[in-house]
Amino acid sequence: MRRLSGLVIVFLALVSALPAAAQEKPRHGGELIFVVPSNPPSFDAHREETFGTIHPIAPHYNTLLRTDPLDKTGTKVAPDLAESWNISKDGRTYTLKLRHGVKFHDGSEFTSKDAKATYDKIIFPPAGVASNRKGEYQDVEAIQAPDPYTIVFRLKWPSASFLNSLASPWNWIYKADTLAQDMRWYETHVNGTGPFVFVEHVKGSHWVGKKNPNYWDKGKPYLDGYRAIFMTDSAAQVAAIRGERAMIQFRGFSPSERDSLVSALGNKIAVQESPWNCLILIAMNHEKKPFDDKRVRRALTLALDRYQGSAALSKIAIVKEIGGVQVPGTSFATPPAELEKLAGYSRDINKARAEARRLLKEAGVPDGFSFVYKNRGVPMPYEPVGVWLIDQWRQIGLNVRQEVVEAAAYYGQVLRPGNFDVAADFQCGYTVEPDLDLYKFTSKDKNAANYSRYTDHVLDELYEKQGRAVEAEERKKYIREFEKRLLDDEVHYIYTLQWHRIIPHNAKVRGWTITPSHYLNQQLDTVWLAE
Amino acid sequence: MLRYIIKRLLLMIPTLVGVAVLIFLLMRVVPGDVVELRFAGESAFASKENLAIERTRLGLDQPVWKQFLTWMAGLVRFDFGTSMWTGAPISEEIRLRFALSLQLAIMATLVAVMLAIPLGVLAALKQDTWVDYAVRVFSIAGLAMPSFWLGIVFILGLLIVFRWLPPMVYTPLWVNPVQNLAQLIWPALAVGYRYSAVATRMTRSAMLEVLREDYIRTARAKGLWQKLILSRHALKNAMLPVLTVIALEFAFLMGGLVVTEQVFNLNGLGLLFVESVAHRDYTLTQALVLLVAFVFIFVNFLVDLAYAWIDPRIRFR
Repeated sequence: MRRLSGLVIVFLALVSALPAAAQEKPRHGGELIFVVPSNPPSFDAHREETFGTIHPIAPHYNTLLRTDPLDKTGTKVAPDLAESWNISKDGRTYTLKLRHGVKFHDGSEFTSKDAKATYDKIIFPPAGVASNRKGEYQDVEAIQAPDPYTIVFRLKWPSASFLNSLASPWNWIYKADTLAQDMRWYETHVNGTGPFVFVEHVKGSHWVGKKNPNYWDKGKPYLDGYRAIFMTDSAAQVAAIRGERAMIQFRGFSPSERDSLVSALGNKIAVQESPWNCLILIAMNHEKKPFDDKRVRRALTLALDRYQGSAALSKIAIVKEIGGVQVPGTSFATPPAELEKLAGYSRDINKARAEARRLLKEAGVPDGFSFVYKNRGVPMPYEPVGVWLIDQWRQIGLNVRQEVVEAAAYYGQVLRPGNFDVAADFQCGYTVEPDLDLYKFTSKDKNAANYSRYTDHVLDELYEKQGRAVEAEERKKYIREFEKRLLDDEVHYIYTLQWHRIIPHNAKVRGWTITPSHYLNQQLDTVWLAE
Repeated sequence: MLRYIIKRLLLMIPTLVGVAVLIFLLMRVVPGDVVELRFAGESAFASKENLAIERTRLGLDQPVWKQFLTWMAGLVRFDFGTSMWTGAPISEEIRLRFALSLQLAIMATLVAVMLAIPLGVLAALKQDTWVDYAVRVFSIAGLAMPSFWLGIVFILGLLIVFRWLPPMVYTPLWVNPVQNLAQLIWPALAVGYRYSAVATRMTRSAMLEVLREDYIRTARAKGLWQKLILSRHALKNAMLPVLTVIALEFAFLMGGLVVTEQVFNLNGLGLLFVESVAHRDYTLTQALVLLVAFVFIFVNFLVDLAYAWIDPRIRFR
């Protein structure tokens, strides 16, 4: 009964949050206090990989394009410093018109020179400067700035994802003159065009920003400022929200943390939830027997009762949605009925497991065959998902032992050198976009992150075709083919459950919409605080 | 005495050099490196070229002996280098956290001393009475409860009963004493209680031993006041082992309060220590180990000096 009433409260919190926000007129003023569960290593998003950089620092910057802050799928591209764009007929030239009257926080004017210098740094970095995002822009041939308010990207081939790439939340626009003097200046300093200006940073403690009075988007931001508190312990984060010392944490909480906040704060808390574009993948080492045999790999995915797993695990862990290679509910995702036709997605689990046993036998794998599942030493959600997998595989006669490896050593000691039979792998994207999400599954000679260690040129070709297909339907067709080959025909990788993002926040926080990525919607220009 | 002090100070140098060598080698044995962790990790687009650029920049492409010599050359000049994770000078990273950790250690020690010495003396004087039993229960409870657990109880209690939570950001004592104490008093109480439990039991047993000494019986036979016997003859001599326990605990508090710091969101050295190891931030971890080793050695040195002050026999040896 108590559980039921808890669920009712969560449901009411969920359904009441968004419509109310949509109807109300934004109010100016107030300071947003939020928790960041990580610290920024440096202030330069071009080189970092952590949301610990994005959450506290993104409000100081703009990007050329952004994802629409009201779009729950986080895929709809909207203007930011570029107010409009034009794509040539051959799909190889992108011309962006930039806003006039935009100023950096130091008072200098933003022009196409700055946009070009920024993208040159990302795509064509000078010798000795590392760019972690260069690989995403292999299609870019040249960047030109024909006049102060126009920037042109010329591509080597048409790219279906290029606009989304320009909306990357990592690609903050920096000042050209500063970069010319010191390419590393932005690692330790802040000077953007964004809605908030920098006030203070105390390492390991907090980051403070205040409203930019000269912001180009007149009337915004609504907040007077914000304060990001760095806090790594999740119990302390929950206590901070519960004690109203903080209003929101933008990465996500677990189901039990959500429930405890909702039951403690009632209508003072609103909950937003979304499928999360992150998931644990199962890498099966194709260079080790018997995992070089696709019948064995197929048996491993057939053993998984994803529907029962989703129902059980979503109560205790941050996993929930059952999906293929795209986040459910997004434009290229396979509908549930079609998904059920793939190996391991059928609702008839007894039949699937009988087939799994048959395949194992056919492949010469004896009943009670043992192997080690290497798991990453991160408790949530690797631990519960690992326990679930072992139980599922046991039900087809496999004897699996889990070996947990410290997170810091995991990629270097386990995945990269191929020191495993079967292991947990991970994928998390800043936006749901097939070019970004599927690259990992191309052959090992093309990308170093293919930890199943296979070569499949058919898959590579499908990847290329979907990326260059300009028509959505044509692209969808290739993505489906890719998905079937990856997860069903060859079973190079196994998808577990999609992560599920849960953001319980103070009900006063309005104007912020959850998306499948914890990297998006962090400019805070649309956020406001109700009375 | 001066010669003794100089000798002890000089002995610190080889000890610290030994610690430096050991931690440098240990960090190189631990699998994984900062570049792999920061720039490769989960990214599908990480390139070997990028990793090589970063390793060169941090000097990780150099032979280990060369890295060691470079680091030692910096140490001689009190230059600890920069953090491999944040790029900030190590001195800046530590300075920020040192004030908080030192204040918390001092406050917890005060709490512990204020509880342990009166309770330990009382328990010894009232041995095997209900007072002794009550003190024993109090101190054993302190030993049984981890300080971070007590901290969680404090936080939940404050939240549920008073709907109030301590401030989450550290404010130096001289900037705003109320804000500062409102944040630090709770961890100081949680840590100080466990700390006092050890010291209470040590005070009690040391007092019991001293109270049975011949010189105490003589003092009583001479008709000295009980208060005088206790303060001048018994307590002073019983303090030797208690002082050692207090000093060792104090040194531990400077870098060992990891979970308590997490629970109270304190930006202290303990948390920095754990993060530096998790990030494989060699330079920062090495500097922190050296700092904690120095604190241990220095506090022990002070204890030895205090021994000499308390016990004249040590001074004349």
